[in-house]
Amino acid sequence: MRNLFTSFFRHLASPRSSGVALESAVPGRESVRATTLGNGMRIIVWPVHDIPNVALYNWVRAGSRNEAPGITGLAHFFEHMMFNGTSRRQPGEFDRLMEAQGGANNAFTSDDVTVYQDWFPRGALEVVFDLEADRIANLAFVREVVESERGVVTSERRLRVDDNNPGFLGEQVQAAAFVAHPYRFPTIGWPSDIEAWRLSDLQNFFKTYYAPNNLTLVLAGDLVPERVFDLARKYFEPIPRQTAPQPVRAREPDQLDERVVVVHRKAQTPLLQYAYKAPAAADSRAAAVNLLLSILVDGDASRLHRSLVEDQRAAIEVSGHWQEGFDPGLLWLYLTLPEGADPTHTRALLDAELGAVARNGVTAAELSRAKNLTSAGFWKKLATIDGKAQLLGEFEIFHGDWSKLFDAPGQFEKVTREDILAVAREILDPKRRTVGVLLPELET
Amino acid sequence: MIGRFFLKMAAATWQAAPRGPTNVLAKAGGGVHVPPHERFVLDNGVTLLIVPRRDVPLVAFNAVLRGGSLGDQPAKPGVASLLAGLLEKGAGKRDAFAFADAVEGVGGSFAAGANAESISVRGQFLARDQQLMLELLADALLRPRFEAEELETLRARHIDMIKAAKDADPSELIGLYGRSFVFRGHPYGSPVIGSESSLAAITQQDVLDYYAANFGADRLTLVFAGDVDSSWLRRMVGKHFGRWKKARTPEPQLVAATRVRGREVLLVDSPGAVQTHFWIGNVGVDRRYRQRAALDLVNTLYGGRFTSIINTELRIKSGLSYGARSGFARGTVAGEFAIHSFAETENTEKALDMTLQTLGGLKRDGVTGDMLESARAYVLGQYPLNFETAADWAGALGEVELFGLGPEYIDNYGSELRRVTLQDTRQVIDEAFPAPEALAIVLVGDAARIREQVRRYGAVSEMTLTQPAFDPRERVVSSA
Repeated sequence: MRNLFTSFFRHLASPRSSGVALESAVPGRESVRATTLGNGMRIIVWPVHDIPNVALYNWVRAGSRNEAPGITGLAHFFEHMMFNGTSRRQPGEFDRLMEAQGGANNAFTSDDVTVYQDWFPRGALEVVFDLEADRIANLAFVREVVESERGVVTSERRLRVDDNNPGFLGEQVQAAAFVAHPYRFPTIGWPSDIEAWRLSDLQNFFKTYYAPNNLTLVLAGDLVPERVFDLARKYFEPIPRQTAPQPVRAREPDQLDERVVVVHRKAQTPLLQYAYKAPAAADSRAAAVNLLLSILVDGDASRLHRSLVEDQRAAIEVSGHWQEGFDPGLLWLYLTLPEGADPTHTRALLDAELGAVARNGVTAAELSRAKNLTSAGFWKKLATIDGKAQLLGEFEIFHGDWSKLFDAPGQFEKVTREDILAVAREILDPKRRTVGVLLPELET
Repeated sequence: MIGRFFLKMAAATWQAAPRGPTNVLAKAGGGVHVPPHERFVLDNGVTLLIVPRRDVPLVAFNAVLRGGSLGDQPAKPGVASLLAGLLEKGAGKRDAFAFADAVEGVGGSFAAGANAESISVRGQFLARDQQLMLELLADALLRPRFEAEELETLRARHIDMIKAAKDADPSELIGLYGRSFVFRGHPYGSPVIGSESSLAAITQQDVLDYYAANFGADRLTLVFAGDVDSSWLRRMVGKHFGRWKKARTPEPQLVAATRVRGREVLLVDSPGAVQTHFWIGNVGVDRRYRQRAALDLVNTLYGGRFTSIINTELRIKSGLSYGARSGFARGTVAGEFAIHSFAETENTEKALDMTLQTLGGLKRDGVTGDMLESARAYVLGQYPLNFETAADWAGALGEVELFGLGPEYIDNYGSELRRVTLQDTRQVIDEAFPAPEALAIVLVGDAARIREQVRRYGAVSEMTLTQPAFDPRERVVSSA
């Protein structure tokens, strides 16, 4: 989940905060190998021998987009349940075995996908395959374990939403932005749904979405592809294919006018969020959309930071996010306002800036800077095995082919100022946005 | 997008916590060796490290100035942090926008920040832009403008950022309350980022005074890692930094803080909060602690990984919390050992009791041979992931220099890990982990609902979350 405070704490935190642009030829295309098992499961391997470790991403095509009223949050709940035991292994054994082999893991859930990540020394490869396949083949559904995990998820919800103003407002804005499409569901789930899932809901969801034909396994690191394929055939291929999940048929109807959500909360700093309707990840204008967003919010020289934060002091932080998903989603702008600021005033300034971009486009220098920064971010990710596994998976899942990763810098390079103007005109249309305003609650 | 385990919490507690020691070195291990590099000391005292790595055409830098918030006046924390932020807000011939544009225009990065014991400037550029990189770095360190208007804008932002963090997630800030409480009167207790009230009092003169006293050649270590020509770089560093004068004052010295005896509770009231965050800590051990390998293994087992003792109790078995972590901050002198977790308001007592029981259990029973082997495999298995890039090495070597440790600190870690015995773990449990009877406990939650319950843990001081300080001594009388 996004974090509005990242940039404030950035300089105090991770050493991996830097990256840089390179020439556009991406090395490695020839060394990546991919195969499809007999049951439809995809396996992609990028051998890189810089360090004796491996990063593994198991992509499940299931997110909150695949939920329905009454079972929202279910995809995310699986992200927890997948660590809670199988018919062969007790709850907790997955983590105990992996950590004892020197491995660590994590997982995340979005509107579109659930992703399981392992980072381990190369010697643990077979143990990891055994563990990963076991939980796909033999996941246990034990009532007491489900109840305990409900408590964990509720705690997570309190942390991210109920006691968190940006999270709370974002959930409301997202719910208002869509009327038909399941992108309106919060990934963490509505509280009443978290309380109400039944075991049968879990079992149905698992059978449908955790089928091998709905999974893509990506590995990068100190590996020999043939050995990985052998292990995949041994551990994953026996798991039977299932009927493909029903496609998400909902199409969000055109938004007819601006929607506004206002909430009053205990707060010192007001918040403002704009969520514009935006294309799907696979859209041909994707590179232009990313560059537009970068021009608006990336770095201290960006349009909105310079104008709203530095010059006007109408915001203390501006950030943005394009939800690049399977279906058309949202392009978000998040603003944190100074204490006592009038959101109406900030909105007017923000609207003026966005209107100017939609009318007049951007400068050549702005586009060049955005290209360099975007390229830098790309290369920074490619510098680690974790980043390589993540990017390969993203291109395979959302763009249909891992090899498009190797063309990514070229896609950005091709974008012109005219392209930026065209996407700005289309996306930054006030009628196609949902505005969220969080105000300090009135004293009683 | 939401993740399984609250990794951010670890970051908030141990890294983003605006105090010196990051945990990069804590995870160095066997098989990782410092790559071949050169080390020079210029006549004026600038230390220069060059780590050539030619796999990608990038250069990462890390400029470390010893001092950090130790150079702040005790009554005005936040000067070093504000100053660090201002280094890139106009320097040399460039104003703030021109500086940002110069960096971002070539896809570079450049970020300065303060810790308890240093200010560091880190970034990365394409190898072809390293002349620009050096020029910007020298401008920022030697010729910062510190313009009044930029200072005013940034200061106001820092104040509002703290307020915004209070509105969003106490995990970001609870360590500041914790350290203020444990390190009362000690420099480690001062909030590096300052507080709302201390920031409001900082003047341009404070920043200029800090700079005059604490910036200078003898305080500076420069590390460059990546695609560099060593002799060219050495010449250029000489040109840009060779005539810089020494700092006007000697480096601030630290004495060790004394441990908290008995139990003390600080309750930070956040009316209406649906869960209580808690931070439990005491003074731990320093950077040169001789049993650091055993320490890392025991902390891994107690609160440093998913199956740790506290995460098992609070999350896996009971479902009380989304996560629980522990860790040591080790500086020139001992920083804190701390545990951080959170639970629904009505389960505050249950979660606290459970946490204290696990600590008592660790002190009493220690760890088993199986646990030790698992932790050893885990720390050894994860370590290379911390040393993948040139930027990783620039960061790690800067830290090694800051604490005067030498490359053997990294090179020997693996063999030290392999040698740790159960007896060693017993020693660190006795020496470094606090007894459950001697702890500072900080709670951020709805005081009206938990005030009575938490009295049994010790004498309670109280403040409100919106109070513009992290120090309980600046108490306000609440209506309760």
